[in-house]
Amino acid sequence: MPATQEITESLIRDNIVRAVDDVFRTMLDSEAVLKPAEDSCPACWPTAPARDSPASETHVVGTVGFLGDASGLLYLYLDETFAKHCTCVMLGMNEREIAEIGEAAVNDAVGELTNMIVGSFKNGLCSAGYSCKLTIPSILRGRNFCIEPISSAERNVYSFDCAGRRLVADILMKTDN
Amino acid sequence: MRNKILTVDDSKTVRIIVRKAFKPFDIELFEASNGVEGLAVAAKDLPDLILLDVTMPVMDGVEMLTKIKADPQLKGIPVMMLTAEGGRENVLKIAKIGVRDYLVKPFKEESLLEKAGRIIDLKPLAEGPGKARSILDPVDVLIVEDKPAIIQQIQDGLRHTPWKIHGVTTPAEAMELCARREPDLLMISLSLPEDAAFTLFRSIRTNVKLKFKPVFALVVKTEMNSQSQAQQVGFSSIITKPIDLPELEGRMAKAMNLDTSLRYFHIDGDFLVMSLPENTTQAVLAEAAHYLKPKLAEAVDSGLNRAIIDIHLIRSLHMGVIKILMQAMQTCRDLAMHFTLVGNGRIIAECKGFEDTRSWAFFETLGEAKAHLAAATDASAASSPPAAEPKRLVSA
Repeated sequence: MPATQEITESLIRDNIVRAVDDVFRTMLDSEAVLKPAEDSCPACWPTAPARDSPASETHVVGTVGFLGDASGLLYLYLDETFAKHCTCVMLGMNEREIAEIGEAAVNDAVGELTNMIVGSFKNGLCSAGYSCKLTIPSILRGRNFCIEPISSAERNVYSFDCAGRRLVADILMKTDN
Repeated sequence: MRNKILTVDDSKTVRIIVRKAFKPFDIELFEASNGVEGLAVAAKDLPDLILLDVTMPVMDGVEMLTKIKADPQLKGIPVMMLTAEGGRENVLKIAKIGVRDYLVKPFKEESLLEKAGRIIDLKPLAEGPGKARSILDPVDVLIVEDKPAIIQQIQDGLRHTPWKIHGVTTPAEAMELCARREPDLLMISLSLPEDAAFTLFRSIRTNVKLKFKPVFALVVKTEMNSQSQAQQVGFSSIITKPIDLPELEGRMAKAMNLDTSLRYFHIDGDFLVMSLPENTTQAVLAEAAHYLKPKLAEAVDSGLNRAIIDIHLIRSLHMGVIKILMQAMQTCRDLAMHFTLVGNGRIIAECKGFEDTRSWAFFETLGEAKAHLAAATDASAASSPPAAEPKRLVSA
């Protein structure tokens, strides 16, 4: 069993950056670059629209939890246009074909994208000595909503630039005691 | 018999990705969205491989795997985990229950195919009859040869074909090119340094997308040991240097299963024209004879009843040519087709010298033959329906 190292912000950051980049390169054939910290303010998004998003655009948020020696939730925020784009690339379909299947296809693809990212993130935690398991994904969809953590959760928000489109990973981790 | 794969994953996205990955292969695919459904499908259809997710509602992958291994009917089915659960402890725990392989999400299609291809035979789907490629279709051929002059020679020799002949000098370049675009046929020079040709051949035969592609060996005629070794390991064909380009072209077309009938048969207006090339080798005559009956029958079936047998390119008459011409004429008679012959002065003169061919009558141009055949068949149609024993048209 590997020695357990402290879950520091840098361990979380390194793992999420590696996980997002790995999933984007493998499944979407594109890069995801971590943006500077000031762009990662949770208050900026999704409660307030992103600079490059139409004010009223729907957001699709994928959620997967992890339970064990480290427990928490990861929310993955995408605007609907970006979510559709990711769905098209993952499934090898065009927008018309995706539209024929409906919202369910986009929800399922974002759910799977989140599952892969959280899986990869969680595997990094396991390697650092924190054994944990994944929960099944769920999706939140809507406009102008805000997800707020309870006070006992530690929150880390990371914003990524994916070829001009924005992706936010909001990680809530249960703190001891 | 087609291999069967069962995907058990609660994500429709993953099931679609898996379906897309196996689409080019002759595989029957079954899907289930949780362990309970998965067990039911497995018991009913007995798949040859199960791709199993771990985290699923109703019944997760670990429970399903445990139940599979406890079921005498199902325990022999190889299971490959396809999951985001990749921690070392998780993998070890699942491996202990008994899995053949483990693929952690995110995954590339190629990795899935490579791992699945190690467990079951992934045969590419046979192309339907309507999609059969002909010698007029562009195909990709890759030559791996450390002597650029040989590559150039083959490219020059096959320039008259629509084939794209790519040449590289190292196995690394070859695999890089194959990853970008699979060639339809590969040629590997056995003169590559050390055992590189055989190593490359083995890599090709273990690559899911390339394993069924024809691979030719290029080797100097006198290097018998290399030729024997190439035959033993399973090269599709051995091409000896100096290269006989017409023979190479024929072998390539055959290996790629290209329809070569257009070399000998084509429709020209209301006529089926059968033509033989200048160089009538045994291989050429065998190939033309192979298509003879089906092509004439196909023409009759589509409403044509006039055939022109054109041998004006042939330089000299020999028994092989006489034999195929007799076959062609007899087939026309059997199918109640009107036919005539087109030849050059030399051939016409040579025909006079044989008992069997003395009575053959030729036109010297295709135009004359068409005009004569059209007039004769029109007259025949006006007077009476085609007789069971049709008239043979002869020139003056």
